[in-house]
Amino acid sequence: MSGYDHGGPVGYGQPGGGGVPGSPGSTYVPPPAPSPYQQPPQQPSARPRTSLAVALEQSRYRLLVTAAVVTTVFTAIGVKLAMATLFAGGGEPRQHVALEVDNTTTNRADIIDRNGNLLATSLVTQSLFADPKLVSRPEEAAQKLVSVLPELDYKDLVGKLSGDRRFVWLKRNLTPKQQAAVHRLGIPGIAFEREERRFYPAGPLTSHVVGFTGIDNSGLAGMEQGFNKRLTEDPGTPLQLSLDLRLQHVLKKELTATVQEFSAIGAAGIVFDVRSGEVLAMVSLPDFDPQDPTGLNSDTLFNRATLGVYEMGSTFKIFNSALAFDAGRIRPSDMFDAKNPIKVGRFTINDYHSLHRALTVAEVFQHSSNLGSVRMVQQVGVAAQKAFMTKMGFTKPTGLELPESGWPLVPNPWREVNSYTISFGHGLSVSPMHTVAAAASVINGGLFHKPTLLKRNSDAEIPTEQVVSRQTSDLMRRMFRFVVTEGTGKSADVKGYVVGGKTGTADKQKGRHYQKNSRMSSFLGAFPMNDPRYVVYVLVDEPKATAKTYGYATGGWVAAPAAGRIIKQIGPLLNVPTVDESSPEILNSTFLNAAGSTNWQQSLPPVSAPPPSKGSTVASFPTQTKPR
Amino acid sequence: MKGKTWLFWGGLIAAAGGVLFQTSYDVQDLEEKLAGLNRKIIHEQESIQVLKAEWSYLNDPSKLEQMAQSYLALQPTEPRQYVAMDLIPMRPADAVPPPAPALPGQPGAAPLPPMVRAPGTGTSQVASARVPTVPNNTAAGIVPVSVPATAKPLPMDKALERAAVVVPASLPSGGGLADPAPRIKPSALVPGAARAPVERPAEKAATDRAAGKLAPNAPTAPNRATEVATRPVPPAAAPVPAPKAAAAQQPYQPKPTDSLGLLVARLGVNR
Repeated sequence: MSGYDHGGPVGYGQPGGGGVPGSPGSTYVPPPAPSPYQQPPQQPSARPRTSLAVALEQSRYRLLVTAAVVTTVFTAIGVKLAMATLFAGGGEPRQHVALEVDNTTTNRADIIDRNGNLLATSLVTQSLFADPKLVSRPEEAAQKLVSVLPELDYKDLVGKLSGDRRFVWLKRNLTPKQQAAVHRLGIPGIAFEREERRFYPAGPLTSHVVGFTGIDNSGLAGMEQGFNKRLTEDPGTPLQLSLDLRLQHVLKKELTATVQEFSAIGAAGIVFDVRSGEVLAMVSLPDFDPQDPTGLNSDTLFNRATLGVYEMGSTFKIFNSALAFDAGRIRPSDMFDAKNPIKVGRFTINDYHSLHRALTVAEVFQHSSNLGSVRMVQQVGVAAQKAFMTKMGFTKPTGLELPESGWPLVPNPWREVNSYTISFGHGLSVSPMHTVAAAASVINGGLFHKPTLLKRNSDAEIPTEQVVSRQTSDLMRRMFRFVVTEGTGKSADVKGYVVGGKTGTADKQKGRHYQKNSRMSSFLGAFPMNDPRYVVYVLVDEPKATAKTYGYATGGWVAAPAAGRIIKQIGPLLNVPTVDESSPEILNSTFLNAAGSTNWQQSLPPVSAPPPSKGSTVASFPTQTKPR
Repeated sequence: MKGKTWLFWGGLIAAAGGVLFQTSYDVQDLEEKLAGLNRKIIHEQESIQVLKAEWSYLNDPSKLEQMAQSYLALQPTEPRQYVAMDLIPMRPADAVPPPAPALPGQPGAAPLPPMVRAPGTGTSQVASARVPTVPNNTAAGIVPVSVPATAKPLPMDKALERAAVVVPASLPSGGGLADPAPRIKPSALVPGAARAPVERPAEKAATDRAAGKLAPNAPTAPNRATEVATRPVPPAAAPVPAPKAAAAQQPYQPKPTDSLGLLVARLGVNR
């Protein structure tokens, strides 16, 4: 310290004017104030205040301030330097990080079938846009563009290019070749934007299930719409459906053939796994091309398998019989009068092909007798029927993941007359999906599985609900098999696969009346009946009879053969082992005769079966007899 | 002393600075490379996606069925074509073993190395190349097509050699094994213009002679040299004299196995 220059007492200098006592540059000690402890040798007032002293003092102040600033700044720099070098970790942040290889480059997940085949994927394309402000000569630019993209309209293009906006799309989703061509033109103000285009390799085959997207890749139908959020939020993992592309193809092929053969206006088909509730194939005809959403109309977009609700006709006798068995009062051998028509108010219910005698429950099912069905439901009661149909899921949508799920048309109030008509499949409209899911629960041991379009993991627990008893289910399997061996569904039989099923034909309601010549013919088949695994459902909308079918267009003539052909082709694909139908093990679990006996060993010839055991498939069909 | 200290520290600082700059540029370089790789990865992923889509598109069942119908004689499988495994009876133990196939003309002879032309037989050895040449006594209970139990697994290259490669009967020596693959010899390529017209009549003659033996739907490509080899040569006919005659005229005549050389010559690449 050089404070002695002034002779002031060391350490007692009062900081005048903002001096920093500890700072290295503090050399100035102000004139000491009078202190009681020390007697200064001279009084401060005695010192001469020369101009030199003043100047010195000033420069000391300045030096002090400068030194303080410099110190502060350098300290700050030092601290920052230490922080940046010693404590910052990795230095500056990386500009580039390595990509994760399993990442997808697209913003929307793929959709695949249960075997991993692509059903929908996103491909990166380039779209052409323009900034009209930067386009100097719109006419010339438009001319050039039209020369390489002939599908563009010249006038429209000139209008777009000379507008006032700063951004205008010229063409979306160019092919690489087109992009190169446009690029080579070198027009200023025109640029490309990376976009994605949804591509459906399977095309129309899965159109109703997968659906399609709009130009901005938002789902507009099918699973694309139902899982829009999931597809965009997790683009890395594909969405796996329960569909099997091969089954889908077989189903569509046979339905198309049937539609052509009978000049029908449409058809629907479903293949359903009764053990897991998975939909393995679902087709609705006519279908559409999801690549080209421009030519779509409401008829092709309409999903008959899930959105359409129809009066199912005789296939509903499945549920009527299951209800009767499950109520515990009726056995297959019980007899019901099918001779006398039933009058309810102004309606008369009749069998047009009446056998004019009493029928067993098995025969009611075999010949699809309306009267017998009504007599059965009369014994069970309206409330029980309503509860049963609710349990079968016929009062609400199926819960399938598609946005196109139809609400059933349920009678309200549910009167006695409604219960009569519902017993043979009129007065309650449900979608084919409803029917299939419920029928699967009737034959698989009584377990109702909610139908799903997503593949279940093999170890995942399947939500189930016991809706009918095992005994009822066992009887119903025999009834199914009986219809195919000796009833209306003979043409659905496939040797080796123990097919069972039930035909159905319903007159279509147009306005307030039922039309006699427009009907829905259907067949609900299942195989193998000794241990059911798959349900095959075929519905044909307004088939016209042909000469080959002798003027019939009922379920047994139209839908059952198609179902048979489908089962024949999908059986091997589904790994269903073929068996000998006449072997004792199979007969043990599938035999039923017209008398309602399940004991095949005393297989007497059917006691009461009439010689031509050929009823019409449908109660409402107004003709006498029909083979098969 | 003081100057040296300065020099030392100065040098150290300069060196550190140099290394630092060098590292910095290296890192910059690497970053650029990484960015390039990332771009490439994205591009590859997009290409993969396109290929996947194309694969699925081409594997559309409707298309496959159409093509199978037009190009294959196969029908959809039917349930009756399936048999459960346990329905197949076991083979009775005392069944007589089927006689092992003996080579025509030399019963009981030592097994020939495959693809070597049997001496004295003018026919090519297509059939015998694949048949396991096992003596009769060891083949008990083994069906002829199965691999004999004593056979050791062959290494890959040996197995490839065993495959049925057709050796034309007109091969001048038994060297089919030595040079199974056609190779272009420089000498075969040079005089192509001169040789090609000479070769054609010989080829045609061979084609005409074998035409009667060909299946009607067999693909005929008369200009392919390998066609000569795969064609069944009638055993009665003399082993193709034409190449020999041509060889007498032309010292540069390539072997009939030198198919690529022939092809080049025939296409007139050198012209």
